[in-house]
Amino acid sequence: MTQSMLARPATATAPPPRPRRRSTDRAYLIMLVPALVLFTLFLVVPTAFGMFFSLTNYAGYGPWEFVGLGNYLAMLDDPAILQAYGFTFFFAVVTVIVVNVCALAIALGLNAKIKWRNGIRTVYFVPMVLSAIVVAYVFNYLFSITLPMLAENAGLTPLASSILASERWAWVAIVIVTAWQSIPGATIIYLAGLQAVPGEIYEAASLDGAGAWRRFRSITLPLVTGYVVINMILGFKGFLGAYEIVLALTAGGPGDATTTVAMRIFSGFSGGDYSYQMANSVVFFAITVAISLIQLRFLQRKGVSL
Amino acid sequence: MAEYRAAQAHTDAGAPAPTPDRASGRLRAAAALAVLAALLLATVVGCAGHGGGDERVTIRFMQNKREVIDYFDEVIARFERENPDIHVVQDNNEAGFVPSLVRGSPPDVTTRGWAFASADIAKKDVFEDLSDLQAARLIDPRVQALVDEWGRHEQGATVALPFSLTAAGVIYNKDLFEQHGVEVPTTWSEFVAACENFKAAGVTPIYGTYKEPWTVAQGVFDYATGGVTDITDFFSAFEAGGSNPGPGAATFANTFAAALPVMDYLRTSVQPNAPSRGYPEGNVAFANGEAAMYLQGPWALTELAKANPDVRVGTFPLPVTDNPDDRRVRVNVDMAVSIPKGAAHPREARRFVEFLFRGDVINAYNADNAAFSTLADAPPQTDERIAELDPYVDAGRYYQGANTYLSPSTQALGHVQSYALDGDGPALLATLDEEWQRIARRNDYREIN
Repeated sequence: MTQSMLARPATATAPPPRPRRRSTDRAYLIMLVPALVLFTLFLVVPTAFGMFFSLTNYAGYGPWEFVGLGNYLAMLDDPAILQAYGFTFFFAVVTVIVVNVCALAIALGLNAKIKWRNGIRTVYFVPMVLSAIVVAYVFNYLFSITLPMLAENAGLTPLASSILASERWAWVAIVIVTAWQSIPGATIIYLAGLQAVPGEIYEAASLDGAGAWRRFRSITLPLVTGYVVINMILGFKGFLGAYEIVLALTAGGPGDATTTVAMRIFSGFSGGDYSYQMANSVVFFAITVAISLIQLRFLQRKGVSL
Repeated sequence: MAEYRAAQAHTDAGAPAPTPDRASGRLRAAAALAVLAALLLATVVGCAGHGGGDERVTIRFMQNKREVIDYFDEVIARFERENPDIHVVQDNNEAGFVPSLVRGSPPDVTTRGWAFASADIAKKDVFEDLSDLQAARLIDPRVQALVDEWGRHEQGATVALPFSLTAAGVIYNKDLFEQHGVEVPTTWSEFVAACENFKAAGVTPIYGTYKEPWTVAQGVFDYATGGVTDITDFFSAFEAGGSNPGPGAATFANTFAAALPVMDYLRTSVQPNAPSRGYPEGNVAFANGEAAMYLQGPWALTELAKANPDVRVGTFPLPVTDNPDDRRVRVNVDMAVSIPKGAAHPREARRFVEFLFRGDVINAYNADNAAFSTLADAPPQTDERIAELDPYVDAGRYYQGANTYLSPSTQALGHVQSYALDGDGPALLATLDEEWQRIARRNDYREIN
């Protein structure tokens, strides 16, 4: 699907005028209605329920009553929630940058004329097919046991304590694992973009005496801008919902240093905080919708359609 | 949007679309097939629901501890032999309990660990009053009080009968104690002396597992706080303070400052890599003699035996003051039996509950599973790994851990873990006070209580 989106030329010509029809084609209905029904049933209805309950003091069971905006007011006074928003946005921004820089670099390498190119490409895509939670548990072991042991044997005592046990640096481990898992997906998109850049341009540039860096900066980068934007947007949206990797690595700790908004929302299922966290999720929803709208506008200006 | 435009482009280009008649014919055929399949499935499922000609009443028993599933299979087999008209199905999906309440089809009998979360459910009036059962009269009233103090929908109701009480203290390696000539300490000074003795001999006094917050909360935090004050009294005074306690009131900062030196000492008497070690690693390391003591409950004993079948351990209550009479153990109601309201077969459920509390069932379960029976006339626990705690349980010298009183929405475990890592005790107590008041304010906003 991404491929077809990206393959569309970025021209701004007006679409041809639509011919008038007496009625909508049945094929559209057949394709549209099941999707619409499923979407409504499993997304719209639960969302509406959640929004409704965010105005109550419902615990998830038992009696409840309306409390107006009480849940929302209480949220403003809750550093645990504000902390989660702060961490989640910080994490999403950092990870998006790390993932895109690394993915572009890897894509450039995999697109070059190298030996065993296909084999190496396959190896680089392995992280994508592994389950995130499994990967995170493996890394948890590496960070807590293996790395400190290696550091100790090498005489690097300051590094001998686990990065996961540090409130200041645990986020680095989460960024590393998330990036490790997400880079292949971004790399595929960049590879597709790089293959769409015509070789003649590079030849012409070489004849004009442009070096490798100059070719990258003046040819490659401008021609793959659309792909960079797409990767940024898809990545950012995904990282905002970070959950399972954090859960397996730090469970939101140490303290609550790495608790994400999604984890905070999920915690509402215990402790009778259901409606409170529903209010939180409504706010989170509003924020992500706002960000998406801004990004969409930005995309349209760049001439990429999603 | 892209798909839509693509589709538009496709038809605009003049590709042949299926004629309406043929398309709807196929659609009808597909719909008919789907309905047929659904009907068939319904019939099959329906048949499976009625076990051929079984006259027994089937009750569902939701049992919360995975490690004793086999044990309860045998208990159930015994019950069914004695009660041929009842069939008991064991169900271990505790997470399905609240959804089953919402659906209106709760299990007939449940066991739950009884603390904050269970009481939260009980306050919504979802459990039957069991005070008229024979079993209710056999239970040690002090243990029943442990259940009741968490609250229920109305005073005087017995919403759960405690079935199993676990007592936690300091698990110690008997071989290491003998090797270094250390006696089981009975006062705080003796405890410190024992630790220094081990340190001098190059043995880690306590194995720390700070990677998992609950281990710090149940050990360092609960043992130290439970030793300096009466936890039940503290929390009832604290709750009365509400969102705006006066100066000198019962607060964490005022009451538990006395526990900080103890916590600080325990916190620092561990191996250097405690921050990166969790419960599973701790069990293996302690079982293999990497430390002399381990602040864990009896649930760790099976794991220790698995890691090293030859390890010899005992458990003593952590002395927190220099008066040996102040020693108490941390307990929790590991299993409490309830009958949910709206269960399908309350009469049969009651018979099963009476059976569970028969001396030969409940006492045997607790003797076999390193726990303490809740019956007033229970025989002493002889399992040598926890036998030293028996006199304390028998005399009612116990408390429920302070960390279990904190609402799950306070992030208390995270704060306790932060303390274990950075050692700032006054900050921990201040944070817990703030969190508690914040929850009280939040509940005011939300018109709860």
